[in-house]
Amino acid sequence: MTDVIDRDAAAARTVEVASAAPPRRRPRFGRGRLATLAFVVPALGVYLLMVILPSLQSLQLSLTNWDGISGAYDYIGLKNYQEILGSGRFWNAVKNTLILGLGSAVIINVVSLVVALMLDRLTHLQGLFRTLVYLPSLVSAFIMATIWKYVLNYNFGIANTALRDLGLPTWVRDWLGDSSIVVWVILFIICFTLGGNTTLIYLANLQSVPQELVEAARIDGAGGAKVFWNVTWPMIAGAVTVNMTLAMIAGWVIFDQVLVLTSGGPGFVSETMAFFIYKVGFGEYRAGFGSAAAVVLFIVVIASTVLANAYLRKREIQA
Amino acid sequence: MQYSSARTTGRPVLRRVVTVVAGAAVAALALAGCSGAGGTADAGGSKTTIRFLYATGDETWNTVVDSLVKDFNKNSTTTTVKLDPLPAGSDYATALKTVDATGNWPALVDMRDTLTYVNAGKLGTIPKEVTSLLQPDAFAAAKDGNVYTVPYSALNGELGMNVIYDKDYFKAHKLSVPKTYDDFIQLLKDIKANGDAPLATAAAEVWPSDQLWKPLAAPVFAKYSDKGGFWNDAAEGKASVEELKAPLEQLKMITDDYVLKGWQSTADAQTTTLLVNKQAVMATSSAGLGRLMDIQKVDPKFNAGLFIIPDENGRINVLKNSVVGDSAGGLAISKQAAGDKKQYASSVEFLKYFYSVGAANLMEKAGWISPNIADSAKVKHNDSIPGAKDYFALLKNPNLHWYENAPTFSTFSSVNTFFRQARIEMQDGQTSIDQTIEKTQTELAAQYAAAKK
Repeated sequence: MTDVIDRDAAAARTVEVASAAPPRRRPRFGRGRLATLAFVVPALGVYLLMVILPSLQSLQLSLTNWDGISGAYDYIGLKNYQEILGSGRFWNAVKNTLILGLGSAVIINVVSLVVALMLDRLTHLQGLFRTLVYLPSLVSAFIMATIWKYVLNYNFGIANTALRDLGLPTWVRDWLGDSSIVVWVILFIICFTLGGNTTLIYLANLQSVPQELVEAARIDGAGGAKVFWNVTWPMIAGAVTVNMTLAMIAGWVIFDQVLVLTSGGPGFVSETMAFFIYKVGFGEYRAGFGSAAAVVLFIVVIASTVLANAYLRKREIQA
Repeated sequence: MQYSSARTTGRPVLRRVVTVVAGAAVAALALAGCSGAGGTADAGGSKTTIRFLYATGDETWNTVVDSLVKDFNKNSTTTTVKLDPLPAGSDYATALKTVDATGNWPALVDMRDTLTYVNAGKLGTIPKEVTSLLQPDAFAAAKDGNVYTVPYSALNGELGMNVIYDKDYFKAHKLSVPKTYDDFIQLLKDIKANGDAPLATAAAEVWPSDQLWKPLAAPVFAKYSDKGGFWNDAAEGKASVEELKAPLEQLKMITDDYVLKGWQSTADAQTTTLLVNKQAVMATSSAGLGRLMDIQKVDPKFNAGLFIIPDENGRINVLKNSVVGDSAGGLAISKQAAGDKKQYASSVEFLKYFYSVGAANLMEKAGWISPNIADSAKVKHNDSIPGAKDYFALLKNPNLHWYENAPTFSTFSSVNTFFRQARIEMQDGQTSIDQTIEKTQTELAAQYAAAKK
């Protein structure tokens, strides 16, 4: 009886509380939110001023004949875009960007995954090897390209000097001056120096693959390759999406290596889209034209990234 | 339920500290972005500091600028000049556009693409007290009657665009300096027959590709000298890029048969090493005495000589300096500095020093040919560098023929850059000569139309 009365009293108190004055609302701009805004707004302001507004202005300038220096310019409609799309030089730059961008994205990811798999198996000195793998990423692309420029110099570079000294003079090439191979040489240099971040992302994802699934597969008689394709590979699909997206975006805007190694030459053969934009927009006093090329590059990057992401995300499995 | 007061005490204090630190960081960043235009007043209040922007591709010029500025700063009571060198390999147009976009023009600028900046109102005028120190034909006024640039070296045009050769090799193999174009081709053949590489040239930075091209094209350009210049006439349809077919064929033949392999990726400075290492007997150059100076520094015993490739009639056609127009270069005072009395006065003071006899002798000592000042007779030329006598002898050569080819449309630099790359493409065998001519003509038409708007 006492229990029933206690229970009823408790229920009554609950009803009282429920029908009492509505719960106190949190103020819209409480101190916590104000503090958050105080930290976010300056950075957002800088981002708007430095990235968004100039990008919108680039769109506006792409419709003009501005030379980048004069105070005045005229609107010329879509003439810049017509010239770009009809320019053989531009399409050559697109081709090179595809080779370097997609090529480096695929190669870097394959190599990084292999290295990550090897690192994952290490039981000793994993930290040391992780550091060694990551070190090339710490050197700026500009400096790395400058070093390679000296290494690959036709007359004085260590590569050709070593080949001649080893009695292989027929292997000697003008690595950065031979139009038939220069783009592939740049691709090699890009792949050689990038990949540290990619490897670490793969390694982190490999280490989060549930071991029970791997053991279950092994118990069922699956070998190493089958375990990888059927268990590990689907589980790291998210990392593949992230790494491929980042590598593709980086590939589309390859510039430093081209500037240092070849200046787009010999002739125009190794120009990429980013280099083309720089060359005409800055180097040739055609800022309006360069802006139009930048808008085209932006559209290409967005479209390819969205398509690639859509495909890669289908493969992802939530663990 | 009451919260423990001890848990809440730390948070507001920490939040306040973080806010203050973040605010200080933002303020520091904002202040770091502010800088005085062209220079500043000295902290002591007595001297005005001005910046001097210059290209660093030529080692001799770097040495000259350094020694002149040191000497000036030691003696000036009102001005300190701070050097603002462009990193080697920098694109000049990009560098100038950046200083313009950031409103950070130095007071003194070693100018390129001058007409573009004159038209955009970015340069201040050079006063009479400076121009009066120069010979009358060493400078010229722009269309508005003002002088915007003054020379930084002697107006010997493209006399510095020549071929440096190994005199000892020539002596040992009984070879002589060519008197005609045919002699030059025979010279190349003879050296090749000895099993040696006749000629080294460079194209890695694109602009050195002019070194072999211009002497070959000079006979065609020279024909239009009195008519307004080849490029102006070609832009207006009175001449055609097709007329350059013969020199382009010569360029292709010489490149394929006589130029040292690897020219596509050879940098200009490396040709000095190739010459001194005897990897080539001759090398193209556009640095005049400066290249001879570089060779002497690398190997004081190297016996260098120089010549310019003559035409088939033995005439040595050399482009005269443009003192006005887009291809004109020289020292300029920025409009930004000209708007500040002290900056302007300091800039003028430095330029007056630059054109003094003392400064000219300092330049000559460093291996630089001083500008054509009014008191040139008092300047002591430096002919002690091996090969320098050949250079000064060219000035007195009866076969020397100056021609003019100063483009007057502001977009010529775009055409020039495009043509250089198109020529390298052709030399490399990627395109035919006819394709090169066609695309260059198209580019010229487009750029001339853009300049007319």
